[in-house]
Amino acid sequence: MDAFFQNAALRLPEICGLGLTFRIDGFRLIFAAVTTYMWAMSSLFTKEYLAHYGRKGRYWFFLALTYLATMGVFLSDDLYTTFVFFEIMSLASYVCVIHDEKPATLRAGGVYLAVAVIGGLVSLMGIFLLYHLTGTLAIGRLRDACAALLQGTAEQRKWLWIAGVCVLVGFGAKAGMFPLHIWLPMAHPVAPAPASALLSGIITKSGVFGLLVLTADVFAGDASWGLLIVALGAVTMLLGGTLAMFSVDLKRTLACSSMSQLGMIAVGIGMQALLGEHNALAVRGTVLHMVNHATLKLTLFLAAGVVVMNLHELDLNKIRGYGRKKPLLKLAFLSGALGIGGIPLFSGYVSKTLLHESIVEYIELLHEGQGWALSFLSVHQAAGLFRVIEWLFLLTGGMTVAYMTKLFICLFVERSADASLQAKYDAPGRYCTRLTAAVLAIAALIMPLFGMLPHLTLDKLADLGQGFLHGHSPAHPVAYFSLANLKGGCVSIAIGAALYLLFIRRALMTKKDGWRVYADRWPKKLDLLTLVYEPVVLRLLPDLCGAVCRALNMLSDGLLTFLVSRAVPAVFGFICRVLEYVTDGLILLARRTTHRQLKPAQPAPEGYRFAYYTGSLLNSAAARADRLLHRQPDPDRDYVLYMARRQTLFRDTLRMVRASVSFSLLMLGLGLAAVVMYLFLR
Amino acid sequence: MTNAVPAFALLLPLLLSVAGGLAVGLVKWKSLRHIHCLTAAVLAVDLAVTLAVCLSPAQRVLPLFTVTEGLQAVFRTDTLGKLFALLFSFVWLMAGTAAFEYMSHEQDEGRFFCLYLIVGGVLNAACWAGNFFTYYILFELMTLTSMPLVLHSLSHEAVMAALKYLFYSMGGAFLTLFGFFLFASQGNGMDFVPGGSLTGALDGMGLTAVFLMILGFSTKAGMFPMHGWLPTAHPVASAPASAVLSGVITKAGVLGVLRTVYYVVGPDKLRGTWVQTAWIALTLVTVFMGSMLAYKEDVLKKRMAWSTVSQVSYVLFGLSLMHPVAFVGAILHVVFHSLVKDTLFLAAGAVIMKTGRTRVTELAGIGKAMPVTMWCFTLVSITLIGIPPTSAFVSKWYLAVGALATEIPVVRWLGPAVLLVSALLTAGYLLTIAIQGFLPDKSEQDLPQGKCEPGWRMLVPMGVMTALAVGLGVWPGPLLDAANALAGLLF
Repeated sequence: MDAFFQNAALRLPEICGLGLTFRIDGFRLIFAAVTTYMWAMSSLFTKEYLAHYGRKGRYWFFLALTYLATMGVFLSDDLYTTFVFFEIMSLASYVCVIHDEKPATLRAGGVYLAVAVIGGLVSLMGIFLLYHLTGTLAIGRLRDACAALLQGTAEQRKWLWIAGVCVLVGFGAKAGMFPLHIWLPMAHPVAPAPASALLSGIITKSGVFGLLVLTADVFAGDASWGLLIVALGAVTMLLGGTLAMFSVDLKRTLACSSMSQLGMIAVGIGMQALLGEHNALAVRGTVLHMVNHATLKLTLFLAAGVVVMNLHELDLNKIRGYGRKKPLLKLAFLSGALGIGGIPLFSGYVSKTLLHESIVEYIELLHEGQGWALSFLSVHQAAGLFRVIEWLFLLTGGMTVAYMTKLFICLFVERSADASLQAKYDAPGRYCTRLTAAVLAIAALIMPLFGMLPHLTLDKLADLGQGFLHGHSPAHPVAYFSLANLKGGCVSIAIGAALYLLFIRRALMTKKDGWRVYADRWPKKLDLLTLVYEPVVLRLLPDLCGAVCRALNMLSDGLLTFLVSRAVPAVFGFICRVLEYVTDGLILLARRTTHRQLKPAQPAPEGYRFAYYTGSLLNSAAARADRLLHRQPDPDRDYVLYMARRQTLFRDTLRMVRASVSFSLLMLGLGLAAVVMYLFLR
Repeated sequence: MTNAVPAFALLLPLLLSVAGGLAVGLVKWKSLRHIHCLTAAVLAVDLAVTLAVCLSPAQRVLPLFTVTEGLQAVFRTDTLGKLFALLFSFVWLMAGTAAFEYMSHEQDEGRFFCLYLIVGGVLNAACWAGNFFTYYILFELMTLTSMPLVLHSLSHEAVMAALKYLFYSMGGAFLTLFGFFLFASQGNGMDFVPGGSLTGALDGMGLTAVFLMILGFSTKAGMFPMHGWLPTAHPVASAPASAVLSGVITKAGVLGVLRTVYYVVGPDKLRGTWVQTAWIALTLVTVFMGSMLAYKEDVLKKRMAWSTVSQVSYVLFGLSLMHPVAFVGAILHVVFHSLVKDTLFLAAGAVIMKTGRTRVTELAGIGKAMPVTMWCFTLVSITLIGIPPTSAFVSKWYLAVGALATEIPVVRWLGPAVLLVSALLTAGYLLTIAIQGFLPDKSEQDLPQGKCEPGWRMLVPMGVMTALAVGLGVWPGPLLDAANALAGLLF
């Protein structure tokens, strides 16, 4: 059969640059069929569900677009094609999710879109790296190319891991894996019920598809990768189960349940990588649980849709007792609840058993001392670890039983607190059209059909699908109803009963007005979205990066503008002004110093030196005094002349005095001589 | 038949546009209708002539004039020129058509269309420039003639923005002149030859000159640290002018860088030098900074302008890697970004024209009043983010794969990572507008009741460009072939 499909490939060269390739093989055929089945059922249901809503055209258009894109993902033959359709699917399904446009819906839709866009881009980075490392994105060729890299140098291994983890982010987010599960419990409850069914049932599986390609082809048989996926899966399934038990909202419970079941699928996928050659059970369990979960969630969400379109309420305390007198709804929901709870004879049991057995098989392998390639744990410690994982798996199964019991008892067994309301609920009358009822019945029939005839139905599907995951048929058909296998199922049911009776009935219900009501006990603050993601992604990172960028911008633009409009003109202006003054200044300096402009130096006239100097001194003093007193200088005034005149006068006088003194002295001498002569003569 | 296109056809759009522009601007026309008809006719003929030239396989050479020996203005057709000329004249026609409607809400239509035609003609001619000298002249002419488009409203803000535009552009052009003088003085003709026409190895001075030339032309393309004018000048212009400033005129800077690096210097001379390293670093800083500041910006047209800063640097990043695959991505992104950014600005213009709203926060619920406009806006937003199967996804794919293939340490993985972070921010600053437009979480008061779409003259160009932007992603066939052929020629 596989051989026939191998040739059914389609290549559209040049579309979207690299060209798109499609292939149909057993696995893809199953999921193409499941997708089409889901869309057909959901669309038939939508007719009544949306009867009272507006904007039906938009919904149908984007529903069809989502269908095309989902088909594209499942039929893609290379990761490029997968990614192209994956992104179209994310965007188109967003419009379906936010259909009623209420504020809560828009917020949930925003988270959905944000996770899808961020995850998609990180995946794209991974795909770039993978393409660069392997030179191909064709799923058929990745296995060999990546095997070579895994055996290559540490550097090659490192980059392959980086690529793988990047790709995982986008696809894992779509598959509701922790820690990117945040959108799932928000978006599924607010979407129109038929869209929730598709979102939970099949769109999450497109994320699983990417996970499968990563595990089966990129990291084929890589134990560390397997352990990573098992760990993430285990956290996801436990968290989902716990959230579902705490939830008091019908569709939110179902959404958290999806998360939990997807975690189980992820554990199965991780087991495939760990089991290596012996992965038949894990492969078959994964494929079957994917199919089963899709059909189960279709039934459950459609049943929930019937409640919503009649009551427009999702609160368990308000819809309590609605289905007491509605046998079809009750049976349909019961079928889904039993199926997802893993009750024998219903479909979920088969796939959960296979997944559980794959863990048990691995523990046995470990006890034999094989199959453990990692160094940080010894084989025996690893066996202990997987024993824990096995019990966590059973515990999650128990949680499933517990929260489905909670829903079923609330809707179909208990009575509403308000007796008149209960009477209204119980009043006979149409609560859905014949078409809706038929859709519900057909959807619900699948579970017992698959569960009671597993060898005729599910085993065939597993045979078809395992080739894609490089799985082999087990040596002998699995006896689903053997004692050993039933034991696992029964343990889960027992845990579930205990959880319901001891935990849900006691801890999660309170008495109010004499009635036991469901209480929302989950701390509001304990939400990864409002606690971590929103502060970091919406505030911290943008503010930090924004500040850095603004600073850069200021530095470049501001500095450049400042430099060119202020600093450079100022500096150059100064320099030029200096240069302009340099010549003038030099001349001035010279004139003041070396080339002072003087009056022709007149030699001081002989004999008038004193008059000349003192006169000049007086002249300059007078000039300075004139300037000081703002007086017009007297042009006739020249102290040199004045002093000269004085000097001449002085000299003449002196000469005259000298002459007269000498004459008088002569006379005195003559007189004295005369006196002496007179004395002698006497 | 097509071989019969004469070489003179290269000059025809320039002459026609200048003549048409002068006629529009100088003649007193009785009615605006005549101006519109004349403008439309000139734009259409320009596109037709360009198309004819592009389809003609023979290479045409048209020597224009010689200034001195070795300094000759010459037109020559080649693959790159054809690609850019076709893009420029097509977008010019589209934005022009939208302007007929938009400008009726503003003053001085005659002056606007006069300059619009002349700039278009100069841009068209710049694509055919056969050597650096010719390109430089046309580049400067384009700056001078496009500057009045910025200051059209004559408000203080617009005049200051125009001065800033002028000052940055001239500064950038002078930086390129440094290289021109250096290389011309060493006896290079600076002809545009695929793979480079420069002879001899580059010394330290030569590398500095090349870096300054890249920086100079990147000024027009808004690359950090020369991006400052872009977010100031683009938002103050009228919407059709902002559209072509962002979508087309920035690409003239890209063309200048392309011609310098791949046709004058040659990528082999630059690969591995500090010039390449510095250039890559600057483009990556710009890509991130532009997106981040767009995300933080509240004024719609300013947000678009920051987005242009970021997106044009995607192109420059692709060119700076000097790898054929990244080169193909860059060429594709030139085309896609032109189409997208023009549509975004026209849509912003339509919103401003019809509602007077300029801030992003005022646009809640606008999709109900202007569904066609906002659908175009949404689709091109998705395109610009790079969500497949739209066109920018293809170009970003080539850019990232090319970056990884270069084997330049750190850049090979940091480059794609920065591109993706920027794509995320693009989603943050564009998709939120679209979502708020169609799905307001609080009802905005006093939005016009009922539909208030702009007329067909705005809707048709937006619709056509949106269809191309999305359609070319699904089937990039001929465009991809052309880009591959060009890469084959250059590497």
